[in-house]
Amino acid sequence: MIHLLFFGRLGDLAENVPTTIVAETPADILRLLAMDFPLLAVALSEPQILVSVNKMIVDWDQRLVDGSEVAFLPPVTGG
Amino acid sequence: MDTIRIQTEDFDLTQEYQLLRGLSGTVGAVVTFSGLVRELEHESSIESLSLQHYPGMTENLLQDIIDQANVRWNLIGITVIHRVGRLLPSDQIVFVGVASEHRGDGFYAAQFLMDYLKAKATFWKQVSQDGKQFWVDSKDSDADAAAGWESNES
Repeated sequence: MIHLLFFGRLGDLAENVPTTIVAETPADILRLLAMDFPLLAVALSEPQILVSVNKMIVDWDQRLVDGSEVAFLPPVTGG
Repeated sequence: MDTIRIQTEDFDLTQEYQLLRGLSGTVGAVVTFSGLVRELEHESSIESLSLQHYPGMTENLLQDIIDQANVRWNLIGITVIHRVGRLLPSDQIVFVGVASEHRGDGFYAAQFLMDYLKAKATFWKQVSQDGKQFWVDSKDSDADAAAGWESNES
């Protein structure tokens, strides 16, 4: 089971998304979400969206292990 | 001696300055920066600002930024404080303080820390304005400021 987190404006689009999913890679998660959450999938596909696994930025084809925390990060706006 | 704090409560500039000043007898310069909530967004008054972050990852990223500053410059201490939650116009959002032997290291490091924090640390601002909420867009100028350090070995 993979734990999902969505930040910033992605969180608004992901309000009804399950908090866990079974998937092999972040790209896999995107494909699975596209079926039921097309607006979210479009937002996640934007090139500036970063993905992290267990709080480290990774590539979209990073292999996931059971229990991983995958977060989708829009461009940051702190400071 | 470096400090990272992410908190909802306000911070006190004098107290943070005194902590950096007192780190060591070799401190010859303390450079501080504080960022505030601007009253206007898109030329219209805001009601409030809400700051979200990714607990755990934000601290890791800030530590990485601090580590990079310590490699680049001769520093005695760094403090980075970032507030989260609901803030009002003119509230303090962020504090960066650098203690060093000489002012050049402090000035460069403080600017580097803020440029990298803005471009890389996992914070997101949401503005409340005219009864509506919207997420603030990132600025190309912030990414450019951080990118400028990639090739600049100052």
